[in-house]
Amino acid sequence: MKSTGRLFTFGLRVTAISSLAVLAFFFFTLLLSFHPYSEPLRAFAQTQEIAPLSLTSLIEKGAAYQGSTSAPVTLIDFSDLQCHLCNRFVKATEPQINSTYVQPGKVVFVFLHLPNRGSDSFPAALAAQCANDQGKFWQYHNLLYENQGPIDSGWASRDNLKKFASQISGLDMQKFNSCFDSQKYNTLVDNDVALAHSLGFTQTPSFIIVKNDGSNPQKIEGPQPYPEFRFFIDKELGGV
Amino acid sequence: MKVLNISRKQESISNLRTTLLLALKIVFTNHLYICIAAAVFATFWIVFNVFDQLLYFSPVVTFYLPGDAVGEFILANITSALMGILVAMNVYVIRSSRLKVDKSLFSGSALGIATSICAGCSSIGFLAISTFGSFGIVAIDFLTNYQAPLRIISICILLWALYSVQNKVTKPCILNTNNNRDQKRIGIG
Repeated sequence: MKSTGRLFTFGLRVTAISSLAVLAFFFFTLLLSFHPYSEPLRAFAQTQEIAPLSLTSLIEKGAAYQGSTSAPVTLIDFSDLQCHLCNRFVKATEPQINSTYVQPGKVVFVFLHLPNRGSDSFPAALAAQCANDQGKFWQYHNLLYENQGPIDSGWASRDNLKKFASQISGLDMQKFNSCFDSQKYNTLVDNDVALAHSLGFTQTPSFIIVKNDGSNPQKIEGPQPYPEFRFFIDKELGGV
Repeated sequence: MKVLNISRKQESISNLRTTLLLALKIVFTNHLYICIAAAVFATFWIVFNVFDQLLYFSPVVTFYLPGDAVGEFILANITSALMGILVAMNVYVIRSSRLKVDKSLFSGSALGIATSICAGCSSIGFLAISTFGSFGIVAIDFLTNYQAPLRIISICILLWALYSVQNKVTKPCILNTNNNRDQKRIGIG
């Protein structure tokens, strides 16, 4: 009885310590996740390297966008086409931003690639850019998110990416295949990833809201709900 | 033979329901345990929903439930509720010194609580990527793809722990025959 009692006490201590360690890990992770982004972003803003985030520069580099180029505010989305949280943003939040800010010409929405979820993410980004070549980026983007499956389960294999492209009416498959097979946009996607990393982003989806000239960057991480975006966009619009 | 088995199963299910309700009644007639359960539930509800990217505190406090997250949200609520009940019942068992304390209490309930905390691991993906970079991604792909099964496993462990702890609450009067015999032999009993 004494030994079982001691065993119980020992077990209880071990359990309590391990439970506390797990909880501490949760909160430590949470705290760390808030910390590292503010520093690179602040450093980025301080060095005045705002040119890469200006709308003109982004469009020149070949980024896909929605909305008026004269919109005072730019919302830059770093996403992965395999990421389920990006899919959540596309379905739950993006339509509200689109109808409230993009359609009335207040905000222009720019898509940049941060393919980090799996080995099929990079080819998916290349394929999307090839669709952008023919002005079909958003159709292709929406088609992939509608058909999204588990990460690297084969739903975004090279063959399937071509099959999805063939479902888009008006897309020249010969041009698309040539672009995709030659990995034409390798450098563009690499540059997007480098830009994301320079801003301190490693997760998807991540967003930056900037003025049209790329100044005053505001960071949003994760598939946050519409009120969070509204707060930052209104803040940016208010300062225009 | 089959009929006998079925009636036995029905009887044991009925017994389990009775003892479980009795255990809940015994523990939760005291407001202290209701408060403990509510506090634990609230803590885990917040933790799970923050990690699931459903609850935000900054810059605006917002909770939203997109269509793809309904399943996760239901499982997170069940896990949080079971955690609350289980912790409160364990505190009751530990505080009731007259109850028999043995290793089954440890293995059944305390271990259940420790294991169930890992239910949160299944939703930590997004934050782990941000914290641990590419190293986190490898682990998180697994957690992202298998989030729901991991949650269900943790709920099963919690239910097992609940079964274990309700036995401790409702059967405190089991006589330890070996002890009684020893006590009689040395002239105490």
